[in-house]
Amino acid sequence: MREALPAHKPWFAASIWEWIFTTDHKKIGIMYGVTSTLFFIVGGLMALGMRLELFNPGAQYVKPETYNWFLTVHGTVILLWWAIGIWASFANFLIPLMIGARDVAFPRLNALGYWMFFAASVIALLTFIPGNQIMTMWTGYPPLASTEGIGFAGQTALFVFIWHLTGFASIAGAVNFITTVIMMRQPGIGFFNLNLFIHGIMAANVIQLLGVPSVAGAVTMLFLDTYLKTSFFDPSRGGDPVLYQNLFWFYSHPAVYVMVLPGFGIISEVVSAFARKPIFGYRSMAIAIWAIALVGFMVWTHHMFVSGIPDWVKILMSYTTLLIAVPTGIKIFNWVATLYRAAILYKTPMLYALGAIFMFLIGGLTGIPLGIPAFDVAVHDSYFVVGHFHYVLGMAVTLAAFAGFFYWWPKVTGKMYSEGLGKVSFWLVMLGSNVLYFAQLIVGIWGMPRRYYDYPPIESWIELHHLQTYGAFVLAFGILLALVSLIKGAISGEKAPDNPWMSNSLEWRLPSPPPPHNFDEPPKVEEDYCPHGYCKF
Amino acid sequence: MKFLVFLLLAGLAFAGEADVNVLARPHDLWEVIYKIWLVIAVVIYIVVAVPSLYFMIKYRFKPNEREVGDQEHEGHWGLEALWTIVPLIIVLYLATHGFALFTQMRKPPENAMELKVTAFAWGWMFQYPNGKMVIAQAIKDTEDKKCKPDECYSVDGVFQNYAYIPAGVPIKAVLTSQDVIHSFYVQPAGVTQDMVPGRTTYTWFQINKPGEYWVFCREYCGQWHSRMFAKLKVVPKEEFEKWLKGEVASLEDKAFKIVKNNRAQEVVR
Repeated sequence: MREALPAHKPWFAASIWEWIFTTDHKKIGIMYGVTSTLFFIVGGLMALGMRLELFNPGAQYVKPETYNWFLTVHGTVILLWWAIGIWASFANFLIPLMIGARDVAFPRLNALGYWMFFAASVIALLTFIPGNQIMTMWTGYPPLASTEGIGFAGQTALFVFIWHLTGFASIAGAVNFITTVIMMRQPGIGFFNLNLFIHGIMAANVIQLLGVPSVAGAVTMLFLDTYLKTSFFDPSRGGDPVLYQNLFWFYSHPAVYVMVLPGFGIISEVVSAFARKPIFGYRSMAIAIWAIALVGFMVWTHHMFVSGIPDWVKILMSYTTLLIAVPTGIKIFNWVATLYRAAILYKTPMLYALGAIFMFLIGGLTGIPLGIPAFDVAVHDSYFVVGHFHYVLGMAVTLAAFAGFFYWWPKVTGKMYSEGLGKVSFWLVMLGSNVLYFAQLIVGIWGMPRRYYDYPPIESWIELHHLQTYGAFVLAFGILLALVSLIKGAISGEKAPDNPWMSNSLEWRLPSPPPPHNFDEPPKVEEDYCPHGYCKF
Repeated sequence: MKFLVFLLLAGLAFAGEADVNVLARPHDLWEVIYKIWLVIAVVIYIVVAVPSLYFMIKYRFKPNEREVGDQEHEGHWGLEALWTIVPLIIVLYLATHGFALFTQMRKPPENAMELKVTAFAWGWMFQYPNGKMVIAQAIKDTEDKKCKPDECYSVDGVFQNYAYIPAGVPIKAVLTSQDVIHSFYVQPAGVTQDMVPGRTTYTWFQINKPGEYWVFCREYCGQWHSRMFAKLKVVPKEEFEKWLKGEVASLEDKAFKIVKNNRAQEVVR
């Protein structure tokens, strides 16, 4: 069918039915991206609601159950739809273009994966109906989630189905991307001249493949406990609630690397393209990605330092947790070294990528003490943790994703984004997020517990909560401007050249936007091909 | 070296009697690792940020002058080995020092008073060694109680929500829960420990300065998680003994009145 289309048409010229029944990786990638971004906005608006409620102590605008529902959906949606889902969008659109393939290995499985993701989105929207709200937190710890009447956790079934459906989509995606990259590369592209973005996606998908079954089992047992009265986690009948935490974090800790490793990949792509020189230490960058993915599976109990597990486990996992700092440190130092003797062009994608590095640096440095049990017992489940993971996941991932949006926007739409608006949006995002999250770090050191709808009227806490709310609104305005810049560009931007950033990577050798079938003939890859070199032609 | 001396001094202080200059233990041990981390984090931040800002300014794209970066500058094994090994040493040091401090934090002194604490949604029941019990609970029911901030978090609320603790005496809190997972966070002492149903966990702390301190629940436990708090009233040891033996009902007139008004939440066994 696709071959019959005239080749000069861009990839997105298709009827609505073709979009719905498509197996084209580019269209599926965009559908992932639109769904993820819409849910990112929903999760962000919920966060603004929470910030308003916490502006002053005391019950103000919403009831505690509404607040707890905001917290749960904000966490679930931002993690599963945005921080994990958005990479499915990038991976779908870019992997075949970067390795010179016409499509992914299993196009129909790919489409099925998206529609499972869509079904999960419908379930997430069902929780907006009064009475259907979920208040389990995104972790859904039993016995709270599995006991009716105590604590008011809401509809656990919806929580479980969200995990199952997004998990199915993740596994379908993982099988597909891993097979595609292993089997469908053009001759000449090997392990050590693959795009670093693909290394990030591959490592993330290996984690998905190995980890998702664990959390799927955990939530299935949670479902059985809740509705069929089994007793996996019910202590009064011989179960153990800490078992759930182990199964849950066995996936959900490595999941943070699913969220951040593709982001690292994008930062590497963007930094080397705008520094106009090869990435510093390509080999150690690639090895560091895989080392993080490997060690990431051995650190999960640092989420459970106060849950009553034996002390020797805490010490063991403390060492492995801190070990993660070494490969992440290598990545940061290599990015800095890439800037040495460069010719840095400050366009919006580069600003976002550099911002992501700086935010990740703060996030990483505040993550180190959380891996030390002696430090963690004082700040466990405090706002310090909230600040930490908003620096790494909230900001490093979001800034990397926006760097990717701006960077590949000319390729995807064939139009340039609005440069001025993009730059203003970057500075607003940096200002707002640093005020917001740094205040969270400080109020956490002072003892403020997390997941609180209300807090005691302690002067210093109130001031910091005021700051956080102001920061949150500046951040939201910045994100809005970034989206305006992109959409305005897609509608009325000037026409993009094929290779606006002079990158050497394969996807920039196609016209902008690419034709529906990608490559007219398999692209020839030169012998010393390096995706992160400066384009010589 | 300075840190090691600091650790040694901390260890000596640990062996001796209550030091009023130290507000609470193990918070002072936490401060040791906190300060070490803060220094290391700021140094690493500067080491990364200053050169990168310098490069960002110096190596800007300039038309006709600097349009292309150095294509030969692709890596340097020596440098990369340097920033693999140095961070490795730093994290191994941090983990080991943390290990030493954590061992101290988890070992209650021999003379510790055992306090049994049982959590429920949403409050705590404190049981003293002689069987005396105090229930600390902040809210009565689950309806949305619109209260002014001062009222929500005052100890004159609907229920009594404080417990007496002797100053300068190490306390081993033995924790469990009746329904869902809660946690026990003593703010001045800087200790958090989950309270898991069907399990017994413990933590220990010692507050040296009399006064009122916060206790919060830090594990999400449902609708009124945020109002699950109590006040620890730390009083001199002699007064605490009197209260424990039942010689006085309360250590302050105001508090006595509240207890009476609420038909005595304290049960003496």
